Amino acid sequence: MLHLSNIDKYYDSKFQRTFVLKAVNMEVKEGDFLSIMGPSGSGKSTLLNIIGLLDQPSAGEYSLYDKSVLDLKEKVKVDYHRNFMGFIFQAYHLIEDMTVYENIETPLIYKGVKSRDRQAMVADLLDRFNMVAKKDLFPQQLSGGQQQLVGIARAIVGKPKLLLADEPTGNLQSVQGEMIMETLKTLNQEGMTIIQVTHNEKFAEYGKRIIRLEDGIIRKDEKS
Amino acid sequence: MIKHFFTNIYRNFIHNKVFTVINLTNLVIGFAVFILFSSLISYELSYDKFNTNYKNIYRVQTRQEDSYPTNFCTYSPPAYRYHLMADVPEVEEVLLMREVSGGAKGSGQYFTLPDGSQLYQLNGYWSENSIFDVFSIKLIEGNKSNALTEPNTIAISETLSKKLFPEGNALGKQVVVGKRFPVSVSAVYADFPQNSDLKATYLVSMPTYPVLSGEPTYSENWTSISFDNYVLLKNGADPKLVDSKIKDAFKDVKNFEKSFPYLHPLSKLHISPNSQSDMIIGLAILSLAAILVLILACVNYVNLSLANSTQRSTEIGIKKVIGSSKKLIATQFLAETVLHTLISTTLALFVAQASFPLLNRILNKNIDFTLWNNAPLLIFIFLASLLVGVLSGLYPSLVISAYNPVKVLKGKIFSNGGNSISIKKILVAAQFSISLFMLIVSFILFNHVNFILNKDLGFDAKNILYTEINPRDKMPFETVKTAILQHPEIADISFSSTIPFVGNIGGYVTWDGAGQDEKVMISRNYVNYDFIPTYNLKMAYGRNFSQEYPADNKGCIINETALKIFGWSDPIGKQIYLEGKPFPVIGVVKDFHPYSVHNPIPTYIMFLNSNVISGSTLLSVRFTGDEQKARALVARELGNVFPNYPFEFKDFSVAFYLDAAIPFWQSMKRMFMFFSVVTLVISTIGLFGLILFTVKRRTKEIGVRKVLGSSVGSIYWQLSTEVISMLGFAILVGCPAAIYIYKTMPGAYKEPLSIAAFFVSVALVAIIALLTISYHVLKIAVSNPVKALRYE
Repeated sequence: MLHLSNIDKYYDSKFQRTFVLKAVNMEVKEGDFLSIMGPSGSGKSTLLNIIGLLDQPSAGEYSLYDKSVLDLKEKVKVDYHRNFMGFIFQAYHLIEDMTVYENIETPLIYKGVKSRDRQAMVADLLDRFNMVAKKDLFPQQLSGGQQQLVGIARAIVGKPKLLLADEPTGNLQSVQGEMIMETLKTLNQEGMTIIQVTHNEKFAEYGKRIIRLEDGIIRKDEKS
Repeated sequence: MIKHFFTNIYRNFIHNKVFTVINLTNLVIGFAVFILFSSLISYELSYDKFNTNYKNIYRVQTRQEDSYPTNFCTYSPPAYRYHLMADVPEVEEVLLMREVSGGAKGSGQYFTLPDGSQLYQLNGYWSENSIFDVFSIKLIEGNKSNALTEPNTIAISETLSKKLFPEGNALGKQVVVGKRFPVSVSAVYADFPQNSDLKATYLVSMPTYPVLSGEPTYSENWTSISFDNYVLLKNGADPKLVDSKIKDAFKDVKNFEKSFPYLHPLSKLHISPNSQSDMIIGLAILSLAAILVLILACVNYVNLSLANSTQRSTEIGIKKVIGSSKKLIATQFLAETVLHTLISTTLALFVAQASFPLLNRILNKNIDFTLWNNAPLLIFIFLASLLVGVLSGLYPSLVISAYNPVKVLKGKIFSNGGNSISIKKILVAAQFSISLFMLIVSFILFNHVNFILNKDLGFDAKNILYTEINPRDKMPFETVKTAILQHPEIADISFSSTIPFVGNIGGYVTWDGAGQDEKVMISRNYVNYDFIPTYNLKMAYGRNFSQEYPADNKGCIINETALKIFGWSDPIGKQIYLEGKPFPVIGVVKDFHPYSVHNPIPTYIMFLNSNVISGSTLLSVRFTGDEQKARALVARELGNVFPNYPFEFKDFSVAFYLDAAIPFWQSMKRMFMFFSVVTLVISTIGLFGLILFTVKRRTKEIGVRKVLGSSVGSIYWQLSTEVISMLGFAILVGCPAAIYIYKTMPGAYKEPLSIAAFFVSVALVAIIALLTISYHVLKIAVSNPVKALRYE
């Protein structure tokens, strides 16, 4: 479904070009669970941002379902964000002024889902993640693990094909981290394609496939 | 979606309470000032428009091209009515009026109240019955068709009627005007509204005029330019055409060949009575000031919104990632701004309504303002509010919606460009310049008003009472003097044709040693022997008029200004020539202020009168001790001497305060104080926003500095340098501008510029600026640097 070829990302300064990513080639199939590993500054997040259409590569080709998605119009890009992919962040990035319920509901509003359908879809997820009792709380009132669960709920409520997770467990204690990874694993088993960036060797193992980045170059691409 | 919008706006409000309250206060102040002055301007423009026919009503005025500059005289001769306008086919109705004058020193008449006391009533007119056809006047009693058609009839206003006939039913009753003329009431009309230029308190029928004025042929008079001629044109008639038909009216009138009648529309009578634009310019300046305040408030709004949006940047980044479009974010922000401005406008309406007494105090007026019944104004205000909302929301909404989600989610958005000179800084510096300027000018005006009020007038203005009397029979002054001076409470009494601040008689004189054709405009006063001692005027040379020198009735006393102009070294015995007659100078009086202290002292010459009171004259009394007692004493004695003539004693200080310059300067002072407070508050809010922005942007930097051991003091200094440079800019702009205003300020006498005004103003602005910085720095100082550094 997703194909990157010869992706470069660099920054030009006066005397030299600094590469963040260099000649990255990658293919992700539907139903894949990919973990991107690597030390700080190896370009993992940049790669994820490019995949998530939040950043542009400096050179190379990127296509989704054989359609190039470089230089997209704002409108088309927004469409991809609404219908095709969901995001999870290390810092959860929930909207602080909204309740749990509203946070999960917001993407559906942007998508233009009708109010009654929204209610059903949000209720479903709340039920699934055992958060019905917490639906009217604000993010600050939840533990980190619970906040990340809301983050996941928000990311998948629109039924995206692709879930992008940027260090989803980075701010969590290991028990809560495991719970989050189990959730992701279940989602993958249900058919969702997942790409996660992580530092954590153990959590990387949840993926079906691990890519190791170093200085912007893919060093290893192996099945786990 | 709509619900989502409003929950969002509401939650933002709750989350950023301090910010929202500050920002709304800012807008409320801006709008309140804007509304106040819009109402004032709308009120000034509403004058005379209560007349249903106002578009067709014109006053026939007289343009006198033989004076320089051309004089646009509001008055006209009665012959217009009878020999000019009546023949013009476009004219539907003509109305001749004349103000009833009680003498040269004021207009008005006395009415006898039921209890026998005298009521002095201003704004009375001789008027034709057509006044009821031309103007929209509501009759309470009487009949419009014949209210003013008969001689010896009077129409009175409702207020006057209530005073004269408290029991009601005034129609047909007798009123005695000035203790002498009985007239019968033919109508009672509702008082003219406040926004009318014509506020007649009573109308005496025009047919009474020839009898009482002793001028039976007045209708043929082309030269007495002291009447008011109004015309009501037929619907659709072209006033320019009428103008062209009447313009040659004076061509055969001797000495008036250069005078031309012209039509002046009723709707312009108030804002430009003499066809001149002074008041229009004044209103334009006021509107500019009000709009400026509103713009300053909007600038603050933009600055504060941007400062606050750094806090919301994460939220915006998230929204974009989960599928919100740029347009949606911009629209939401814009909607929020428009909502803010609409809320502020609504609050500002109440604030403005509550502030009208303040505006009246500033203007020294008593206007009855109400916003709620002025629908066009309310619509205008809300349209303005909508426009302001869109304009001040547009820029921030574009900036905010363009945030790059990757950067804001990493907290990187404001990490660079910290020291550039931004538009924001320039705007805040401009705000400070304006406040500083306003403050300094307020101080200058404050000093100026005190200066005028305390200026040495050159005569003793305390303990003086004066009255105007207008007896028809001659009365030797010595009789009055003897009667009054038998009371030890009265020190002096004199009579004269003018007194300081009341009355003025002009004339041209030449003098010994003057060049050919050289003449000078003087103010003259006909005084008796006691005038100079009563007012405690000091002689510089020579002596006062004295009964010991019978030739004094051919002499004169000049003031020092006159002496300077005449250029004499030895004035006594030199002669001046008035209307060809020589008058030898017997003395020179030291300069004093016969008129407003705003004007330079004129060339002033006193002549001796006959010491017999006859016709309109001014009596001045200097008393010792209690004023009430003196007033009663003098009134009683004068009542005995002149049983048939009403009079009223006035405190001289009242005349002094009637000096138009004083209320004018007091209004100016209050106006500037008002605007300086408002601009100071608004620029404080602006500075608050800017520093908030700086602090937000540099939170991390400050956090790092703190971790590295930097003291609060050095952070303080860091933030202060920015503000100090803006203050420097404000001083460079504000001070010269204020000096310029001082230099161009009208007025013959000014106090030297005080350095204190500048120091105090700069200090005030600096203190406010530093307090604002201190607030933010203290907030940072007590905060935990770890918090600022988290999430890297």
